[in-house]
Amino acid sequence: MHSTIPRVKTPNATVRRTSSPRKRYNTLMGYLFISPWLIGFFIFTFLPIIVSLVLAFTSYDILSSPRWVGLANFQQMWSDRRYWNAVRTTFLYVFTSVPLRLIFALAVAMLMNGAYRLVGLYRAIYYVPSLVGGSVAVAVMWRQLFGESGAINLGLSLLGVDGPNWLGNPRTVLIPIIILAVWQFGSPMLIFLAGLKQIPQELYEAASIDGAGGWRQFRSITLPMLSPVIFFNLVMQLISGFLVFTQGLIIAPGGGPLQRALFYSVYLYEKGFAQSQMGYASAMAWVLLIIIGFFTILVFKTSDNWVFYDSKEDA
Amino acid sequence: MASQAIGTRSRLERQRRLKAGAVQLVIIFLGLFMIYPLLWLIASSFKDISEIFTRAGSLIPERFTAENYAIGWAGFGGISFATFFKNSFIIAIFSTIGAVLSSAVVAYGFARIPFAGRGFWFVLMLLTMMLPTQVQIIPQYIVFNKLGWINTFYPLIVPKFFGQAFFIFMMMQFIRGLPKELDEAAEIDGCGRFGMFWRIILPLIKPALITSAIFSFYWTWEDFFGPLLYLNEPRLFPVSLALRAFSDPAAATNWGAIFAMSALSLLPAFILFLMFQKYLVQGISTTGLKG
Amino acid sequence: MYARRILLPLLVIFSLLIVACGAPSDTGTTGTTGRPAASTAASSPAASDAGAAAPATGGQVELRLAWWGSQSRHDRTLKVIEMFQKEHPNIKITPEYGNFDDHWTKLATQTAGGNLPDIVQQDYSRIGEWAKRGLMLPLDDYVADGTIKLDGVAEEQLSGGKIDGKLYGVNLGTNALGVLYDPEMFTQAGVAEPSADWKWADLQQTATTLHEKLNVYGVETFYNAEFFKLWLKDNGKWMYSDDGKSLGYEDDALATQFFQKLVEMQESGATPTREFDAGRGTIGIEDSLIVTKKSAMIFVWSNMPAAISAASGDRELNIALPPQADNGGQGVYLKPSMFFSVAATSKHPKEAAMFVDYFTNNVEANKILAAERGVPIAPAVREALQPELPAIQQKVFEYIATAEKVAAPINPPDPAAHSKILSDVYNPLIDQLLYGELTPEAAAKQFREQATPLLASQ
Repeated sequence: MHSTIPRVKTPNATVRRTSSPRKRYNTLMGYLFISPWLIGFFIFTFLPIIVSLVLAFTSYDILSSPRWVGLANFQQMWSDRRYWNAVRTTFLYVFTSVPLRLIFALAVAMLMNGAYRLVGLYRAIYYVPSLVGGSVAVAVMWRQLFGESGAINLGLSLLGVDGPNWLGNPRTVLIPIIILAVWQFGSPMLIFLAGLKQIPQELYEAASIDGAGGWRQFRSITLPMLSPVIFFNLVMQLISGFLVFTQGLIIAPGGGPLQRALFYSVYLYEKGFAQSQMGYASAMAWVLLIIIGFFTILVFKTSDNWVFYDSKEDA
Repeated sequence: MASQAIGTRSRLERQRRLKAGAVQLVIIFLGLFMIYPLLWLIASSFKDISEIFTRAGSLIPERFTAENYAIGWAGFGGISFATFFKNSFIIAIFSTIGAVLSSAVVAYGFARIPFAGRGFWFVLMLLTMMLPTQVQIIPQYIVFNKLGWINTFYPLIVPKFFGQAFFIFMMMQFIRGLPKELDEAAEIDGCGRFGMFWRIILPLIKPALITSAIFSFYWTWEDFFGPLLYLNEPRLFPVSLALRAFSDPAAATNWGAIFAMSALSLLPAFILFLMFQKYLVQGISTTGLKG
Repeated sequence: MYARRILLPLLVIFSLLIVACGAPSDTGTTGTTGRPAASTAASSPAASDAGAAAPATGGQVELRLAWWGSQSRHDRTLKVIEMFQKEHPNIKITPEYGNFDDHWTKLATQTAGGNLPDIVQQDYSRIGEWAKRGLMLPLDDYVADGTIKLDGVAEEQLSGGKIDGKLYGVNLGTNALGVLYDPEMFTQAGVAEPSADWKWADLQQTATTLHEKLNVYGVETFYNAEFFKLWLKDNGKWMYSDDGKSLGYEDDALATQFFQKLVEMQESGATPTREFDAGRGTIGIEDSLIVTKKSAMIFVWSNMPAAISAASGDRELNIALPPQADNGGQGVYLKPSMFFSVAATSKHPKEAAMFVDYFTNNVEANKILAAERGVPIAPAVREALQPELPAIQQKVFEYIATAEKVAAPINPPDPAAHSKILSDVYNPLIDQLLYGELTPEAAAKQFREQATPLLASQ
């Protein structure tokens, strides 16, 4: 991961060739530019992170002082059925909702990239699901849609299919939650939209003069030019997918039927605050960090093959 | 703008229009699905309490009442929503300014300046996003308590001025998508790093800045957890937290008032979005390339 | 004022960036000094704010008071604070309020920061835990010296706040479980309304008939652990032993019977199924099925009928005692709905106690509070209040009076492991039971197997 990240190909090469005062200047400038983050990190973030790591090896009920327990929290995790349930649910959620959400967001962003009338209003309307977020209104709407005699089942009955009680059935409860996540595609959409704006228009003009159709323009211009942004969205959606909290909580409180909609972060929060086991929650948090880190590294490793940073070369 | 480019050929133009029409129809149909909860929220906010649950499915109130807005706006014991909105605006506006500016500076450093330790700090920054915040709450509270910042807006605003990992990473990606030649040209012009950043990079990543501003504003606006922990007195509450104080699972809850104030609380972010999104539609982001 | 303080460092950064073009070394130094300046400029005024907030000077006493509730409770409580401050101009009370979940998250954080409010609204499920950790102050001294007057208050109204014989919380209102029902639906179905000595079998019978005649649910689901406790108490037992280190019943047949009843009633349609409940979800007591006449009865705490009545357009609803065990055992008990406790860290416990007393005994204050926290414990307050209340609240008062006559003594507060047992053991097992994955016998057996080690290891 270390080596792959900001290996912006050309600059490194030039740096190595240049003299060492130049290198020193760059290092000074680099640290100067990132100094806001560095300072903020050491003031606000560093300590809490270290403390949470230490707490992972303690039993801490918040009301009294933490007590060192070594690896006991991790052992408890190993034999905690609800924990594994939460892991399973979260993986299922991440690996379905993230790709679907990204595809949907990109498709809508391309639709919304046109210059037709009212496009601003349409965009705002399509952003509404992300604005209403975790509100009661969304919970109510989803229960109506996916209820036993809701709109979804009405539609299915026209096709001769007898729909289940989606949110009450342990086998189907994740489906409405995943659809909810896809429906709230606003933030990746907006980022795609901003990315699309950055693609030089001339590229498309040149391509259409060459007779390239829509699909080929998409494949050979849009996708590569957008790849840094796609990469960003993928990484961020992956991270936020693993950390998902609100969706499960509002649609299936308490973990839903047979705990099939119990998400990792929700369980972690329940352990930490409702059950006052902050040590255990911290241990869970660090395991989650390792899981997310692993998948993020995977994405970064593959990024060399499909993310293009120097626009001129690939155009 | 794509259609302008090909506008010379009228046959293509006609085809395009037809397609655009069909696309519009799809957009409108899907749009209804997108906006339904908002309509439901607004409809419920005009219903009498006896009607909200007995006729939950209906989008048209049987007896239209604006009373919920009056009751909701009154807030709690003399602290009205005027105060809560004011607090929300203060927190969200300053957080947004802080987050966007500082993140852009940091992003430039990470994206364009090769320096020793860059990879290490970048990985560390990503890691901070992967650790669930729930377990950092208590130590963080202790830090802010030691700083004497409890019951002030500082814990909510000041950290934003030190860059936010999400925005930093996002802007990095946008900056790295810009051609390197720009930097070289600027260097020849005698611009230092700051000049390059301010005069060349910043204008070019305007779409990313605007996107960040929209997110930052909305995320701060809807966040209730930070305010819950760090603000004690209700006169300092933002809207998000005040809304939560309305309802309690075991006590009588005035849902009408909640819905009314929820609907109002969506307005600022919605308006901000409408105002700012047009900067994402201009389609002339190539000025920098030509100039 | 925040605006100016943050604007300044902001302007520094701004100007720094704009003049940046040109000599790199020069901007470098400005940049490094500009940053720390920003953070110190922001922190110093905050420190002085905190200094001003500290108590002391001129006999002025500042108290922080934290409670949970909804809008109407906030409004009422704030008014009473104002009245109290008028009578005691040297005491200033700073309110901190929110909903139930937020209240506890915040208190936990404040505990960790050593920053608890002076007066804390406490819950029966947690007060024992908090008292044992030494976070709350015993109030007996203030009762003894007359600061908190509890004359004429029945012992069962107070015992809930006592841990190891010491009073850690003053009960703010009394609650009891009951069955709220719609008499009109009973008439329609031609079913007798619940009598004072009806049995669980009668409940099942009545609910089934209501379901068959009216095509509604007879009673809303009652698989919640509160009702398991009630069933056990009807039968002379409780969920936990008095020391909280083991289960409070020896024979699993008792649990099996309760679970059996849940399964039978969900199968016959007398109650909704667990699947129905999970699919429906609720956002509050206001969207109970009885509100929309989809159910004829619901088990409630006595502070809930007011909200249900309002949501259902004030139609007539009655409250009955919960059903008895076959041998006539009645497990209804009076539970403190919530307490006011004083934090052990409070610098002004005496003034805090004065406020608790005012809240408990002042008639005018209680007219404002309107029994929204439950039926007040002071007899004088109760008498003065009852005639002024709306019909449904009067029924609640009458119900508490009825329940008081037959009530069994309350059991000790739940052990610390209770919340863990609920979410890790009881609720998952109930799910398995009602989704048909476990038989009642197996559920009862597994409940004992899984809960026992959690209780023993506390």
